[in-house]
Amino acid sequence: MKILIREGRIVNFDAIQNADILIHNSRIIKIGRIEEKADKEINARGKVILPGLIDMHTHLRTPGWEDREDLTTGSLAAAKGGFTTIFCMPNTSPALDNEGYLKWIIKEAERIGIVDIYPVGAITKSREGKELTEFGILKKAGCLCLSDDGDPLEDVSLLRKALEYAGMFNLLIISHCEEKKLSYTGSMTESVISSKYGMEGIPSISESIGVFRDLELARYLKVKIHLAHISTKRSLEIIKKAKEEGVRVTCETAPHYFILKVEDLEKNNFHANFKVNPPLGEEEDIEAVKEAIKEGVIDCIATDHAPHSIAEKELPFTKAPFGFIGLEFAFALSYTYLVKRKIIDLKGLVEKMSYRPANILGLKDKGYIKEGAFADLAIVDLNQTWEVNKKDIVSKSKNTPFIGYILHGLIEYTFHKGKIVYNRAVSSRL
Amino acid sequence: MDGWQKKHLLGIKDLSRQEIEIIFELAASFKELSQREVKKAPALRGKTMINLFFESSTRTRTSFELAAKRLSADVLNFSSSSSSLSKGESLEDTIKNLEAYHPDILVIRIGYSECLHNLSRYTLASIVNAGDGNSEHPTQALLDMFTVKEIKGKLDGLSVLIVGDITHSRVARSNIFGFQKFSAHIKVCGPSTLIPYEFDKLGVEISYDFDEAIRDADVIIMLRIQKERQEISFFPSIREYVEKFALTAERIKKIKKDCIIMHPGPVNWDVEISSQLKEELHPLILKQVENGLAIRMAVLYLAGTKKRKYEDIN
Ligand SMILES: [Zn+2]
Repeated sequence: MKILIREGRIVNFDAIQNADILIHNSRIIKIGRIEEKADKEINARGKVILPGLIDMHTHLRTPGWEDREDLTTGSLAAAKGGFTTIFCMPNTSPALDNEGYLKWIIKEAERIGIVDIYPVGAITKSREGKELTEFGILKKAGCLCLSDDGDPLEDVSLLRKALEYAGMFNLLIISHCEEKKLSYTGSMTESVISSKYGMEGIPSISESIGVFRDLELARYLKVKIHLAHISTKRSLEIIKKAKEEGVRVTCETAPHYFILKVEDLEKNNFHANFKVNPPLGEEEDIEAVKEAIKEGVIDCIATDHAPHSIAEKELPFTKAPFGFIGLEFAFALSYTYLVKRKIIDLKGLVEKMSYRPANILGLKDKGYIKEGAFADLAIVDLNQTWEVNKKDIVSKSKNTPFIGYILHGLIEYTFHKGKIVYNRAVSSRL
Repeated sequence: MDGWQKKHLLGIKDLSRQEIEIIFELAASFKELSQREVKKAPALRGKTMINLFFESSTRTRTSFELAAKRLSADVLNFSSSSSSLSKGESLEDTIKNLEAYHPDILVIRIGYSECLHNLSRYTLASIVNAGDGNSEHPTQALLDMFTVKEIKGKLDGLSVLIVGDITHSRVARSNIFGFQKFSAHIKVCGPSTLIPYEFDKLGVEISYDFDEAIRDADVIIMLRIQKERQEISFFPSIREYVEKFALTAERIKKIKKDCIIMHPGPVNWDVEISSQLKEELHPLILKQVENGLAIRMAVLYLAGTKKRKYEDIN
């Protein structure tokens, strides 16, 4: 099967070119002016073609909470958002802590055939922070990175061992930085707003103290570490300094950390759809996140896609679980709030959402549009605006604070390994 | 009532000075009614009020119940423990179930801060906040202010000192928002671990020195210390708390001559206030209870004369 994409504007992290793309089965075989006939032709004039987006931080709730999301709906949501590769976090029930669960997820994702799903293995058995999982065996099962996301290791000596041991297998540790004794049962950033409303606060230092601890370990052990969903100004100052000093750290943020702030809770009467961890910060945090994206202190943008049921998000704010869904909006949110506002250019966004994640995780033939690479592509109409609407969400859960937002940049097609896995014209009402 | 537009009473922070004055005016006339032989008025005849208490508080519940009965409303008491609200369905379902009785007013006491806005979507009734988490307890603040106004003849420009656990106090927050609308100078005083983060940004002064702060206060509000909670981690011992923040016979000598001392009740004698002062202070605290009834009648009257319909809050 050959597919020819005509006259698109191909955007890689380092260059833009107007050219045709010829796909044969799963790979791109030619880029340039192509006269050849194909089985199917797509006209991409006026559209941009991006390397398929890669999300380092997704929660697919499988196994255990398939009523929130399953591998199929998660895949569909990803494809709709232009993602072709997603990493699902192990805080499932049971946790993804042995090769059996990992192999099953990889096989299921292949069977579903919409996007590549890489399970992130748990660092400790049942994510209890007590005993390490079998990193070597997990690696053999297809695991590229490890995390106890949501429940960072409290035992710093165990984290040290995990970092050392993971290094031996070239596995990346992804750390959710949070000093839980400080964040405790808080539900929003400790601030004059939490004080005004009598809400228990999460001090911003609960993240930055975690960041500092983990970076000290990485520096001392000379190992790699990736920090998840960084949200505060102070964390970014610490990361920037560590990077300058040669610590092997990479980090990600999520769109809500450069768009929403603590005042948005107040404006929305503390609806639980605005509750997320790390919590929405202050204006200075948003500015710092944008600056860090621009400077490259932040390597990538992930979604932290976190599906929750309607009943869970109808709970009182202080009781409800943390998290937003994000796969379907991450690109448009980032394009609208970063590229349209000239924080970074489109190439920069491609770097944050595709090239760098591929690079950090050592994904071969992904993250860059070139001959020989997988035909993982997103065709986007940047001139389209659209409204985030509950009824258009394909994820099983609908918990997003962005309902009603008007966004720029509409995904027209998503190709995964040469197959059209999303075609807006046929699969969506948008 | 002219000038009253609100459907719900969720917090003092949403009220204007003028709205507070409307409540006071009504409360004064209802107070007068309570002193008559026949204490009932037909204002809410045919209306239904439901007391929905997810936290037990006999005092507040009784006060609302009697207030409603004095206005001839039908009253239903519904108690449930907050712990039974672990699922979202049950809170929503509870409200929706009660909706079958077509209530006009729902008086809600609940342990979660700022959850009433979202609950108001499930009912056509007017919601009156009887205390939500650490956020607000509007009728308590209204009765405190009403009492002060009655004694002082005015509210403007007073020095108000609030003493105790500010962090976990909805009474403190409602009083701060209320007195601020009358240009009061507000000082909070308590253990540094129980003053919320950046609280001074709300325009209040912070003091850790009760002996100093007590001198220029026109009004002192002593907050209740919840012994079970605070003792553990916010200060080392009740003994040390009493030493620094209790109102004692010694300290009371330093107050201004016409200073009013209040407490939302029930008092932990010898914790917040020395029992030596019981005789001296108890009459005023009971006056607060009496005024509480009048304030709640006023609030229920305003809420109960609103039509049963969904209304956007703002
Ligand atoms: Zn996390």
